[in-house]
Amino acid sequence: MSRPIRSSAPPPTARLPTLADRLAQATKAKLRTVQDYFSLAGRAIGFIFARPFYGNDVIQQMDEIGVKSLGIVLLTGFFTGMVLALQSSVQLATFGATMYIGRLVSASMIRELGPVLAGLMVAGRVGSGIAAQLGSMRVTEQIDALNTLGTDPIKKLVTPRVLAALIMMPILTIINDFVGILGGNLISSLMVGIPSGLYWRTVWEQIAADGFTLHFIPNDFVQGITKPFVFGGIISISACFFGLNTTGGTEGVGQSTTRSVVLSSILILIVDYFLTQILLSIFAP
Amino acid sequence: MSDDGGDESGKSAPSKRELERRGEGRRITERKSENVRAAIRDELAEDEPASEQRAADKEAAGESAAVIELDHLFLAFDAPILEDVSFVARQGETICIVGESGTGKSTILKLILRLLIPEKGKVCIGGKDITSLTFEEALEVRQGMGMVFQGAALFDSMSVFENIAYPLREHTDLDDDAIEERVREKLKFVDLDPDRVMEQLPSELSGGMRKRVGIARGMADNPEIMLYDEPTSGLDPLTTGTITRLIMKLQRELNVTSIVVSHDIRSVFRMATRVAVLNERRIVFFGTPEEMAASDDIYLRDFLGGY
Repeated sequence: MSRPIRSSAPPPTARLPTLADRLAQATKAKLRTVQDYFSLAGRAIGFIFARPFYGNDVIQQMDEIGVKSLGIVLLTGFFTGMVLALQSSVQLATFGATMYIGRLVSASMIRELGPVLAGLMVAGRVGSGIAAQLGSMRVTEQIDALNTLGTDPIKKLVTPRVLAALIMMPILTIINDFVGILGGNLISSLMVGIPSGLYWRTVWEQIAADGFTLHFIPNDFVQGITKPFVFGGIISISACFFGLNTTGGTEGVGQSTTRSVVLSSILILIVDYFLTQILLSIFAP
Repeated sequence: MSDDGGDESGKSAPSKRELERRGEGRRITERKSENVRAAIRDELAEDEPASEQRAADKEAAGESAAVIELDHLFLAFDAPILEDVSFVARQGETICIVGESGTGKSTILKLILRLLIPEKGKVCIGGKDITSLTFEEALEVRQGMGMVFQGAALFDSMSVFENIAYPLREHTDLDDDAIEERVREKLKFVDLDPDRVMEQLPSELSGGMRKRVGIARGMADNPEIMLYDEPTSGLDPLTTGTITRLIMKLQRELNVTSIVVSHDIRSVFRMATRVAVLNERRIVFFGTPEEMAASDDIYLRDFLGGY
């Protein structure tokens, strides 16, 4: 027979450090992933201001991320506003305060539900799409092809998507807020009997109550727009990150898609809490 | 055969049974080897212009400058991938890298493109070491190379025209008319009818056509170096012949330096000026196809026995 492959058994003490090593290695790998994530984010955002600009790609992505998400955002906003009005009418009726439905609906929509729901819907629709597209490009060597053709894939693929998401998410959220309040108006006038005039007046009272930035932008709007801006970044960067790091063929593409949607949804909810806390401390009455 | 230092890996030290099995294989190979050599001789003779060209190239190559130089490359991720890989490609040469699957053939192309950086050793393109370049500098070096991917890797959201025009739009100041003219010229070079295919999407093309568009895209910016990753894999024999002829035409008419990674010994013998055989992470043979066919090395004979 040929020589033995392993000449000596491992020393008995070798096992324990191995476990610790593995833990250390796993932690290192996770930290490296986080580092890669932020480095991708940094480069993608840095490239917004560097030549060459891929204007057409940005416009195409704004269409893909913004215009094509309009349908689900309209539906989500409208029904959320309706259900908010319906639920709050029951609660407010016990205090005889149903005339405040408008205040409640607008405060909830503009500050929280508008940004978060739009974020979650776009994470599902657009995040998965971006991750799947970039993932397929990775496994079919198209990303390598871009590299070999002398183009930085981050600049060509990631930056336009991030920029488009940063621009479109606030716009989608404003639309979402508006149709939500409109949905509340519909229910409060049809089912609770509150006249539209009164409803919209209470809505405005609520918006004006929290004061203005620069004397004319309601503070509620500033809060309501800051969040979707951040969420747009989270959705697009997570999707691009998982898409570009896809391995393992078509199965890998599926995994990237799932991971991207899960991560951006969770991050949206967590970041929402901390952002709210920061914004509330800034805009405290 | 590279057989040194085989103790740790176990892989590189063939067991007795393995040797016996190879021995049996060798006996069969020996019986066949005469046929094989005859076939290779026929192949070389049949392609008279290629052989002539090869002879001319060989003379020229002796004098011309080294375009690609790999100097004692080592690469490892979790396990070693390449060990001590060196070779030189001179102007106008076609070097074919052959070897079993998973021996790191495509990795060599990625090192030349600097998509990967070696752990040790140097990769010189036109005399300049590219291993220490920044990402942006590497992008520039890559513009002088054309790469044809195994699956063509055409951008599937773009039409054939946009695919070929891509490198021109990115890196040249050509106006739209000049770009269209160049795209048409390249499509004609790869024997495709520009009017028929230009507006088609890659998904509407056959495998052979995609490969040809891939070659047209690779050569769009008139690179000095062309790299091919398995250009003939997954193609029928006729299309394989077409693609092989195309690579030879590119080398002959434009005098580009080509590195071709291939499984297909038949095409390799037709187009290579020199062949590098990769086995167990190392280059075990580097020479002309004629030298390879005449070699008595057991591994080479086994390898050619498959042909």
